[in-house]
Amino acid sequence: MDRRTEDRVPVVQVKNLTIDIPMDEGVLTPVRGVSFSIHEGETLGLVGESGCGKSLTSKAILGINDKKCRTGGEILFSEADHVLDLLKLKYGSEEIRKIRGERASMIFQEPMVAFHPMYTIGAQINECTRLHITSDKVKSKEITLDMMKRVGIANAEKRYDQYPHEFSGGMLQRALIAMALVCRPALLIADEPTTALDVTIQAQILELMKSLQKEFDMSILFITHDLGVVANMCDRVAVMYLGKIVEEASVREIYKNPKHPYTKGLIGSVHKVGTHNQSKLFSIDGTVPLALNLPKRCGFYERCSSRIEGVCNRLEPGRTMLDDDHSVNCFLYDKENIHG
Amino acid sequence: MIPTVLIISFVVFFIIQLPPGDYVSSYIAKMSAEGEIFTQEMIDEMRAEYGLDRPWYIQYFYWMMDILFHGDFGYSFSYLRPVWDVIMDRLGLTIAVSLITMAFTYLVSLPIGIYSANHQYSVGDYLFTFIGFLGMAAPNFLLAIILMYASYVWTGTPYIGLFSQEMLQNGIHLYNFGEFLKRLIIPVIVIGTSGTCGVIRTVRAQMLDEQSKQYTLTARAKGVSERKITYKYCLRAAINPVVSGLSNSLSSIFTGSTISAIVMNLAIQGPVLYTALKNQDMYLAGTILLVQAVLIVIGTLLSDIALGLLDPRIRFEQQKED
Ligand SMILES: Nc1ncnc2c1ncn2[C@@H]1O[C@H](COP(=O)(O)OP(=O)(O)OP(=O)(O)O)[C@@H](O)[C@H]1O
Ligand code: SF4
Ligand SMILES: [Mg+2]
Repeated sequence: MDRRTEDRVPVVQVKNLTIDIPMDEGVLTPVRGVSFSIHEGETLGLVGESGCGKSLTSKAILGINDKKCRTGGEILFSEADHVLDLLKLKYGSEEIRKIRGERASMIFQEPMVAFHPMYTIGAQINECTRLHITSDKVKSKEITLDMMKRVGIANAEKRYDQYPHEFSGGMLQRALIAMALVCRPALLIADEPTTALDVTIQAQILELMKSLQKEFDMSILFITHDLGVVANMCDRVAVMYLGKIVEEASVREIYKNPKHPYTKGLIGSVHKVGTHNQSKLFSIDGTVPLALNLPKRCGFYERCSSRIEGVCNRLEPGRTMLDDDHSVNCFLYDKENIHG
Repeated sequence: MIPTVLIISFVVFFIIQLPPGDYVSSYIAKMSAEGEIFTQEMIDEMRAEYGLDRPWYIQYFYWMMDILFHGDFGYSFSYLRPVWDVIMDRLGLTIAVSLITMAFTYLVSLPIGIYSANHQYSVGDYLFTFIGFLGMAAPNFLLAIILMYASYVWTGTPYIGLFSQEMLQNGIHLYNFGEFLKRLIIPVIVIGTSGTCGVIRTVRAQMLDEQSKQYTLTARAKGVSERKITYKYCLRAAINPVVSGLSNSLSSIFTGSTISAIVMNLAIQGPVLYTALKNQDMYLAGTILLVQAVLIVIGTLLSDIALGLLDPRIRFEQQKED
């Protein structure tokens, strides 16, 4: 983790990503210009309250949001010899389907419903192998079984032919990880992968992800509510609020030296409550407004105790680089623009 | 299963004899209206002859005994023939018409349901929804009359009933089979469309439900094509309620559609049941209803087996119970 990130190529660069969803009441804009990049072998944590747009952002990378979602910006994905803008690929086209599962894959919050109940686990993992690696039945089954063993599924040959309802939640999450990693993708997106699991199983799954990450040298976008898990898993953290990234820094920096009033609130509430009480993690007063017809001002304005009247309610803060590796969107640190 | 059928048969018989009067009284009423005069002795004699002078549960007992030990379902007063012969007369044709309309219903509604779900709120979806509801709201007999009229205007032949005069005399042979098929078109459309809308709505709703499932997203995330997602993932799970719906079809295959059949003059089972109930031809009505009940029970069994084959979770439940 001490390898210097700036020396290496970003695997994926999200640039000014916006997502609009047309609704009966108007256009919802749950993602409003998100930018971040993830380097090779690095884990970026994406944290923020429920509904701030984490899942939409991550699903946009694979192009698997609802058809009605309209995306803007760029998602640059590094292939061996070229860079691909994933947002330019047509919905469900062959090009994007070659990325999905093979170069970038995803695991989800609820493993219990992530598999189709009527096909065996083995068949569903193997489908990914056959789509991307080999259509040879014998070979692909070998590869699939090997991956199932690697993620710690005992008795893999027998479990290959079992159905999802015969698996426990933890085992299903292992199977889901096997399915996501069978093609050795460059990027793994993990959308709250342990939220639905018991604490002890959570720890096992996180250890598994870490060891496989080292082994395969892949990058991870790790989405979570749990700041304790962030400290354990991530190299850098992006804090998201109301469809924007409001602060980004290394894990150590975020914990020691949080700048944005929202981040300060988050870290503060963790210290107050202790590490493993998820429901209390985000105990900041007020709620996230709905991203519909938002006025032009700082998204955190209503809940912010340090707000600057006349500035924060008239303008939207842009990104300020505090140093090479720490950026924040807040007027408190943007002395030039306040008066400009 | 057997107790279920026995209880059903008992209830059926009880309900059939509920309305005041019996076959003899409705027969006398009809005849008197035409000027015939009956003495009380004649009436009593007729009752005794048909066994209608005994209490209904005794009648039920003898009816059941005959069915169980002699395979005899009783006698139809109005056809003056054994009930089973009356039913057999129309069985082949009824099954043929029913199966063809069923095939029509599913062939039309499955693709439309899938299309509507995949193109939710598109022009096509709205159009099919509109036509579907129109088909459901408009009474079948009305559609039958309109189509019969239209076919008469266009072709000059009144397509009423499944057989032409000529067929009734000579029977169906290879040379007039085409004509027979032509005569099937209108009944199939009329009876078929009545079920189509329901199946379309079920399939559409199920498919939409499946598309929002997490496992559909998982499949998309691993690179499965949209086409395969529709057929392998969504349809596979969406088909379950359609299969359970099939269990009721077995008994409707046996009777066919009553009102449409009367309007279109189709020689199938439905109208027979209708007149039997009207005339209090109790053994005939009772037998048809009994057979229907048995078919529903068998249909449920068959659809349970089919669901077990389709869905591993149900298969496990079934194995656990054994
Ligand atoms: N298909 C959709 N149609 C309409 N609104 C949507 C849709 N998907 C997401 N949203 C809205 O967009 C916002 C962001 O959703 P998203 O799922 O990205 O949140 P999240 O940050 O992942 O939250 P959570 O922590 O609860 O998973 C939410 O307010 C949600 O209501
Ligand atoms: S910009 Fe103003 S309102 Fe927004 S977080 Fe900073 S101080 Fe608070
Ligand atoms: Mg989410």
